[in-house]
Amino acid sequence: MIEIKNLYKSFEGQTVLKDISFRFQQGITNLIIGRSGSGKTVLVKSILGLLEIDEGEIWYDEKNFVKISQKERKALRREIGMVFQGGALFDSLSVEANVGFPLEMFTNLTAREKEKRIDFCLDHVNIEKTAYKLFPSEISGGMKKRVAIARAIALNPKYLFCDEPNSGLDPETATIIDRLIQDLTKEFQMTTIINTHDMNSVLEIGESVMFISKGEVWWEGTNKEILKTNNEKLNDFIFANKIYDQMRKDL
Amino acid sequence: MNLFFHIGRYFLLLKRVFGRPEKSRIYLKQLFKEVDNLGVNSVWIVVIISIFIGGIMTIQFAYSMSNPIYPKTLVGLGTRDTLILEFSSTMLALIMAGKIGSNITSEIGTMRVTEQIDSLEIMGINSAGFLILPKIVAVVFIFPFLFIISVFFGLIGGLVTGPVVGVISVTDYLKGIQFLFYPYYVTFSIIKSLFFGFIVASIPAYFGYHVQGGALEVGKASTNAVVNTNIFILLFDLILTRLLLT
Repeated sequence: MIEIKNLYKSFEGQTVLKDISFRFQQGITNLIIGRSGSGKTVLVKSILGLLEIDEGEIWYDEKNFVKISQKERKALRREIGMVFQGGALFDSLSVEANVGFPLEMFTNLTAREKEKRIDFCLDHVNIEKTAYKLFPSEISGGMKKRVAIARAIALNPKYLFCDEPNSGLDPETATIIDRLIQDLTKEFQMTTIINTHDMNSVLEIGESVMFISKGEVWWEGTNKEILKTNNEKLNDFIFANKIYDQMRKDL
Repeated sequence: MNLFFHIGRYFLLLKRVFGRPEKSRIYLKQLFKEVDNLGVNSVWIVVIISIFIGGIMTIQFAYSMSNPIYPKTLVGLGTRDTLILEFSSTMLALIMAGKIGSNITSEIGTMRVTEQIDSLEIMGINSAGFLILPKIVAVVFIFPFLFIISVFFGLIGGLVTGPVVGVISVTDYLKGIQFLFYPYYVTFSIIKSLFFGFIVASIPAYFGYHVQGGALEVGKASTNAVVNTNIFILLFDLILTRLLLT
């Protein structure tokens, strides 16, 4: 579980996150949604410690991330997996080496054990053995995302962060990625936080949804509740697309 | 003010670069990769440039010493001392700032804009140390070798060009390059090349590590890195020459 309490963040006097409190549950997919520029990425980066917050608390289970030492932060980060928007795979490493990188860096596994773990992770994201030796520049966008997920779960993390995991993907591949993340979250009982503005993802895997606008939490609930809400700001965001507006009318 | 900001941030970055490595074995592996990538891959360009410059210098020295009162041996001596004292250390460092420096900035800058550095940080890896330390060590290690290679091929260039164009005989040239040789000049230039190696690796790494934006900014950072590296090479050339030679 990750819990944030009264979180504030500003840049050069301009407040970007204002009094944000939320509890991200373990074993379900927690989505942060909002318009571009609403503060989603700043929030995720703040939770990850890539940005220092001005005020508030960030709890990773019983550890307050804000208060712990740099050494403890480093140790905690080894329990975090992250899938970046573009995959952020290391260009100079093959698919196999990308997934093996955290294992190489942080474990003392034998070559055989590492190989088994890499197989396990890549098999979970449906990457064929024939792609193991390929480099990131030689694989498709969807495949990059799947390899990034495999790398993120290599160390068996307790917490998984995904920054717009299906952006730039066709609808079918996007759904596959969404379901994959949800399945892995359940299988490994991770606390998963997904940053997205894709309504398909919200409806598909939004077991817990937090809507932020102008750096504030405006709504929280589930994908089942989202189409029935009367929250004006959220409705403006969701029903900007005519398809969802029609869905709402049908409901 | 801006200059102090960059100097401060540069030293803060260096502090992180020289932090304790997570796993020395992996850093060592990276180091070998960088020695090959940044050093060994630069040998051919050093050889080509040095041969041509050595040849050109021999012709120019011969031309300016065409007066019969000057002994012919001075052509070889001039070529040798210019190569050792300035060309193979300073000029070569300026050229390498363009080749190695822009390579380092664009590599690290691209990793920054594609979130690969963030990815390392989230894994709990000291990204500055992991990416920059092996590059600095590799370039500092390889620079004295590049200096020696450059002097050697520069002298060969003179030896071939001088007699071929008929400005000096092989005997006079060989006598000249052995005449009044001070081994301290070599020591002085090796010391300079160690400093220049550090500058050529660390300043471009700084510019790459702090890139913000996209491909355009990576390009701009590469240009800034090369310009600033060149300025600092010349500044340190002046300081070291004053301290060690006069």
